[in-house]
Parts: sequence; structure tokens; C-alpha cells
Amino acid sequence: MRIRELGSRPAPASLREMFSRFTRGQAPAIRVQRRQIPYWQERGWTQQGNTYSGNYQTPYGAFQGWIEQDRSGRINFYLNNPSDAIRGHSHWTCFQHRNNDWFLIHMGREPKDVSSGIMTIERLIKEAYE
Amino acid sequence: MKTLSVVVAGTGDIKDLEIQPGTTAGDVLHQLALPDYLLSKGPNEPFFAAAESIYDKVKGGEKIFASTKAEVGTTVCA
Repeated sequence: MRIRELGSRPAPASLREMFSRFTRGQAPAIRVQRRQIPYWQERGWTQQGNTYSGNYQTPYGAFQGWIEQDRSGRINFYLNNPSDAIRGHSHWTCFQHRNNDWFLIHMGREPKDVSSGIMTIERLIKEAYE
Repeated sequence: MKTLSVVVAGTGDIKDLEIQPGTTAGDVLHQLALPDYLLSKGPNEPFFAAAESIYDKVKGGEKIFASTKAEVGTTVCA
């Protein structure tokens, strides 16, 4: 006899899964629903009444922020303890010191929603580091 | 043709579009009735100019943002 059977062992799981698919066919695709949430929420900000807290997120780091929307609809954006790079930006004069380490960011052209304002400030912070 | 998903930053609404070569950012905003908005790939990327063709600058199926125009105090502070 030229061939001698020494024993058998189970096929690897990946092979078994492949053969199993051939025999049972492809499973139906699962449709994944997209989350349709505002940018502020997508970036992890939280809302409490008319205020929001979270971080302005940039490639250079996350910067603690706070936002309040007053009764007139005006939105005020704050940044905590701006870094030296931000203090060196040409728009540093637009940061008005409030209490403790919080600075109000003056908007020359005000965004119509919180998300657009967050994006604007994230852009500005990124610029400060470039 | 390319497909494109435009996320309205303020609401999170996603608008799926099909664009042809030469489609500008202004065309997209006009189609979506978002005249006071700007398009960008996100806060780390510049805004597309209204007359700028976006077809070659986006990948098929890519998600881009529409946000309202805003500036940190250019007229008063700087």
C-alpha cells in the first residue's frame, strides 16, 4: 500500500465557514441605517437646556468648549484656557476674557446653528497651529 | 456620475445626490435650497468656493458637510 492514513483533524474554521457558505448560499445583506445627527452631537458634545459642553476637536488636540444660546437665539461660544498657539493667532483679539479661564469668542459673522459655529472654531484653532 | 452625501451640520439631515463632472459647490447648494451655506469635507478642510467644481475633489460615496457661513470677528477684531 502506497498511502497510509495516519489520522484526521478538523479543518480550520475559516475553511469550514467558506464551504458552509457554498452549501447554504450567501446570507442576505443587512442594511445599516445611517445616523442622522447634528455635527455637535456627532462630535460628542452634550446639551443641557440651552447650553452645550464638549470639545472643539482638531488634529492638534481637543479643546474644552462651552456654548450658550440666549433667548434671542444668539449663540455664544466659549473656549477654556486657550493655548499659546491660539493666543498667537491673528484673531486673538476676538477672544474676550470672561471668568476663570473662559474666553468668549466674538463672531463677526454669526453662525445660524451651534454645529456651524463649532466647525468655524475648530477651523480657527487648526489655523493657529499651522 | 458620482454619488455624494451632504450632511447638513446643524440638523444632521443627510441628502444623497448624484453629481456629474463639472458640478460646482454652488450647484449643489442651489439644488438643496441651502443658499446661506458652505460646503466642505469637514472642519479640517477648506470650504469649496461656490464656482468650484467639486466632482474631481470628492470620492464616490463620500460624505461632505454643509454649514452656515460664520467668521470669528474679522470685521471688528482683526
